[in-house]
Amino acid sequence: MSDPREPVPLLGTPYEIEPCNPGDTGGEVITTTVDRFLNWFREGSVWYLLFATACCGIELMQTGGPRTDLDRFGAVPRTSPRQSDLLIVAGTITYKMADRVRLIYAQMAEPRYVIAMGSCANCGGLFQRSYSVVPGVDSVVPVDIYLPGCPPRPEALNEAILRLQDLMRGERWADKRKA
Amino acid sequence: MTFSDLVERLKAALGDGVVGVDEAHFDPAVRVRPQDVKQACRLLRDTLGMDTLRLLTAIDRPPESIEVAWHLVSVRGDTGTLVLKTTLPREAPKVATVSDVWASANWFEREQFDLLGVIFEGHPKLKRLMLPEDWVGHPLRKDYVRPDAYHGIPTSRENVTPVRTVSVPEHVAKAPETEGLMLLNMGPHHPATHGVLNFLLETDGEIVRRATPDVGYLHRGIEKLAELNAYAGTMPYTDRVDYLGGMFTNQAWAMAVERVAGIEVPRRAEFCRVIACELNRIASHLIATGCMAMDLGAYTPFIHWLRERETINDLMERICGARLTYTYMRLGGVARDIDAATLDKLLRWADHFEVMTLEFDRLITTNEIFVRRLATIATLQPADALSYAIVGPNLRASGIPWDLRRSEPYSVYPELEFDIPVGQGWRGRVGDAYDRFKVRLQEMHQSLRILRQAIAMLPEGEVRAKVPRVLKVPANEAYARVEAPRGEAGFYVVSDGTDRPWRVRIRTGCFTAMPLIEFLSPGLMVADIVALIGSLDVIAPEVDR
Repeated sequence: MSDPREPVPLLGTPYEIEPCNPGDTGGEVITTTVDRFLNWFREGSVWYLLFATACCGIELMQTGGPRTDLDRFGAVPRTSPRQSDLLIVAGTITYKMADRVRLIYAQMAEPRYVIAMGSCANCGGLFQRSYSVVPGVDSVVPVDIYLPGCPPRPEALNEAILRLQDLMRGERWADKRKA
Repeated sequence: MTFSDLVERLKAALGDGVVGVDEAHFDPAVRVRPQDVKQACRLLRDTLGMDTLRLLTAIDRPPESIEVAWHLVSVRGDTGTLVLKTTLPREAPKVATVSDVWASANWFEREQFDLLGVIFEGHPKLKRLMLPEDWVGHPLRKDYVRPDAYHGIPTSRENVTPVRTVSVPEHVAKAPETEGLMLLNMGPHHPATHGVLNFLLETDGEIVRRATPDVGYLHRGIEKLAELNAYAGTMPYTDRVDYLGGMFTNQAWAMAVERVAGIEVPRRAEFCRVIACELNRIASHLIATGCMAMDLGAYTPFIHWLRERETINDLMERICGARLTYTYMRLGGVARDIDAATLDKLLRWADHFEVMTLEFDRLITTNEIFVRRLATIATLQPADALSYAIVGPNLRASGIPWDLRRSEPYSVYPELEFDIPVGQGWRGRVGDAYDRFKVRLQEMHQSLRILRQAIAMLPEGEVRAKVPRVLKVPANEAYARVEAPRGEAGFYVVSDGTDRPWRVRIRTGCFTAMPLIEFLSPGLMVADIVALIGSLDVIAPEVDR
């Protein structure tokens, strides 16, 4: 672990600035890799779909609001799945809704990510014993980040977005192409 | 007119049709034969002034019978309330529909058919309302067994394996019911539907000929879960019935159980409840008016209200420890006291908020574009509002000053001074979308008034009555309701002497507001549908529960 007092750069610079020739003080070049550069773009513009199904949707709204302001991290709400990179499943999914979730997920362009927000989306939560509630949205669509809470606070959702950016930073384009 | 007068009048008209009277219940009920239900309902509406069917409940009583109860209320008359009951055989529960007597019965009956399998003969469209069409069984029956899986999705968490790929459902094209019209699907994922509501719009160009609401996408079966839990254990679920007004559903549930179990609430707790509820009402109306503005294209007022709502959330956190799902009420009081520092903060916030409402008014309320999008749109006549059992601000915007805090007083509201804002036809007609918007804005001011008074009058004392840990409630039944931001929030509790309720029925304002969209939409433009939905302030969990 690094010293917690040391400031940790959250977004590491995705490139190095190097001199043209060793020992030269003149022009400089920027070196990077395709992966680092692509990931840098990607994590800086996580556009999420406004998919508020239940109580968590209100906290999702508040997170986009002035105090927490997800916009700081490049995450802005979209209303069409075609324009979104991230599906935040904010709330309970019922059996009647399950097919619609699949459809929305299928309409999103690759690469796409899913955050299961709140206990209902994680595992059914309070409504596990109900006859009509899907016990966790991961039985319908693949989930990248599980965010606990009933409902999670805006700060927690903020944290989830940051963890998602970490996830994106470690990705390799070649792996994605294969998959 | 007292209950016994009503019974006399019914007996005079129906003769042997009246088979008994449940005087011992907290809400006395008249029992009639199944074949006389329709005649009794007609009589009650036409000559005894029962203009609203507030709730329709079916209660499973295995092994032989199913009971059906109609909760009636006289909004414009003076006949008060009445419960009409009948008993049907469990194997073939059939009773005549009353959807031609009160329009609100249409959806109530569909819901009870869906969940309990009661067949309402003569109903225009007796199809499942909440659950998918291919669902097997009626879940609110006592002998219902949950299947292991539905369409390949397991029903218990232990059997879930997280998927890596998605099987995309096959697209099934629906056709409009009328030839020559275009079918436009709106929702369940749509930014202007406030949660997962689905509307099938049949359009002729830009004109909507019919909008059919399709609900149940958030049906979580809270009524069944309440039967599985102890009385106190249902409290967290009531928050999720109405996530914008959790305090009100909390209070309605607490009041229903207190009524049926005979628990006295300390006076300070009543004031704490009033303070928490009125603060919550403002928070809820912020979302209602803000979202409405956003749906019509004005984003800035919404962001302003989100900022104000954060300050309310901070106060709520001080009061009960939660931002959204409060669970503040307890049976016999509230979870904890409101301290002096919080009260001081509340008063200072009230002064600040009053200034903010002026800024909001400058931003949007008098904005000519906004006004023209709403004025004279989707006018709701008072008679239709009563037939559809519309409650809350939507009813008051139509010119009927029906507010449960005044009309059927509860808690300490009779001691508090406040006005009931009623639709005046400010910029168009009485009962149009603009009136519904404006009534909500004025209610926020009244809530501030109540808040200041309640803080000034707050007495010393306990905030929670002594309630046994395992609360066993004698067999009885009671209905309790409060005036929530979206109208009546009510719980009908049927107890059976154990520590769990036998049947719980939840009444919310949005459930009866939804069919109204089908009624008011013909002839509107597609963009006006958004204004209509926004002005009714319907939210999915209240509709579906």
